[in-house]
Amino acid sequence: MITNISSTFLTRRVAWITLLVIALISLAIVLLPVWIIQPFRPQSQRGLEASYAMRRWAPLLTVMILAAGLMLVLWLWRGARRWWRKALLVMVLVPLLASTWFARQNHFEWMFNPLAHAAYAKTSEAGFVADSDIVMSVESNGEAVAYPVRLMAYHHVVQDIVGGTPLVATY
Amino acid sequence: MRDEETGSWWQQVTGEAIQGPLKGQHLRPVFHDELTFGLWKREKPDGRVLRPDESVARAGHYAPANWEERMAKVPVATNVNLDKSLDPRTLVVGVAVNGVSKAYPFDALAKQSPIIDEVGGVPIFLVVGEDKRSVRAYERLVEGRKLEFFVKPNANTLTLIDAETGGEWDFTGRAVGGQMSGQQLKKVAVLNDYWFDWKTYHPNTTTYELGAR
Repeated sequence: MITNISSTFLTRRVAWITLLVIALISLAIVLLPVWIIQPFRPQSQRGLEASYAMRRWAPLLTVMILAAGLMLVLWLWRGARRWWRKALLVMVLVPLLASTWFARQNHFEWMFNPLAHAAYAKTSEAGFVADSDIVMSVESNGEAVAYPVRLMAYHHVVQDIVGGTPLVATY
Repeated sequence: MRDEETGSWWQQVTGEAIQGPLKGQHLRPVFHDELTFGLWKREKPDGRVLRPDESVARAGHYAPANWEERMAKVPVATNVNLDKSLDPRTLVVGVAVNGVSKAYPFDALAKQSPIIDEVGGVPIFLVVGEDKRSVRAYERLVEGRKLEFFVKPNANTLTLIDAETGGEWDFTGRAVGGQMSGQQLKKVAVLNDYWFDWKTYHPNTTTYELGAR
């Protein structure tokens, strides 16, 4: 009888630790790439490789961890006698849900908002650019296009077709 | 940059895919100029210009006019060992011909324009426009003759004269007078960059020193 109680106690303790560890892993999978690939910080080939792998697998991994986490929470919930333990269980779900959601976001596009629908003005009507502003310009088959650097420094990437050539302008 | 189709990550400066299914592939570079808008619109009155996105403009997210001065103060993040002779944020004009690269500090270029040089076995020259900002480079081998250029003094618009024939050339590389009239010089791609960035992608680059030639 006594051994039975202590083994249940031990199992519950292991379940708790497992739950906390997988919650941390789930957060790490989505937050490490954000930390590694931040602007104004040098990056290494290995760091990029690891980040790429994490971002690639995060959507699947976070869902699997969330499922495992939910099972653990349900199991622990039934045996939990104190209210604060239940509250703690609910709190552990927050990082699990948050990382599952974040794995499905492209946070780079929050920072560097791409131009979804690029629009253009004739040279004579481009009053929004000062003569002293710098533009990047291309010309193909007689078609000339200017991309003002002040706009490119925000969007960073613009897709266009110039004189029949599909191209991407980037800054 | 990330492409939607394969999710590969592309390095902006080199156009190389560095992660993902297309790793190792290169985008073909499109020749481009970096000019002041005033100069560009005089050359291309019938062109088109990318418009600002109204909501981004209203929110004030676009770079301010003095953006380049501000960027000059941003600390440099790099793992690359830099030659201590230049400040990492020195503005350079980079040229890469036949795998040989050379960086021309913008200040030296502004003082000495045009700079006559030879890179990767190709005779070239670099010249700053009359706006004192825009830089272009051309090959200077025309019909088997190696030309040397100098700036015509007191001209209204920037005009170059070649010492061999005395012919006049404009900033677009066209001969506008003399026996070579109508000839077009071959363009050489330049990259306006910070020294630390140019050095990162061109580790074997040399630098031009004022008065070296």
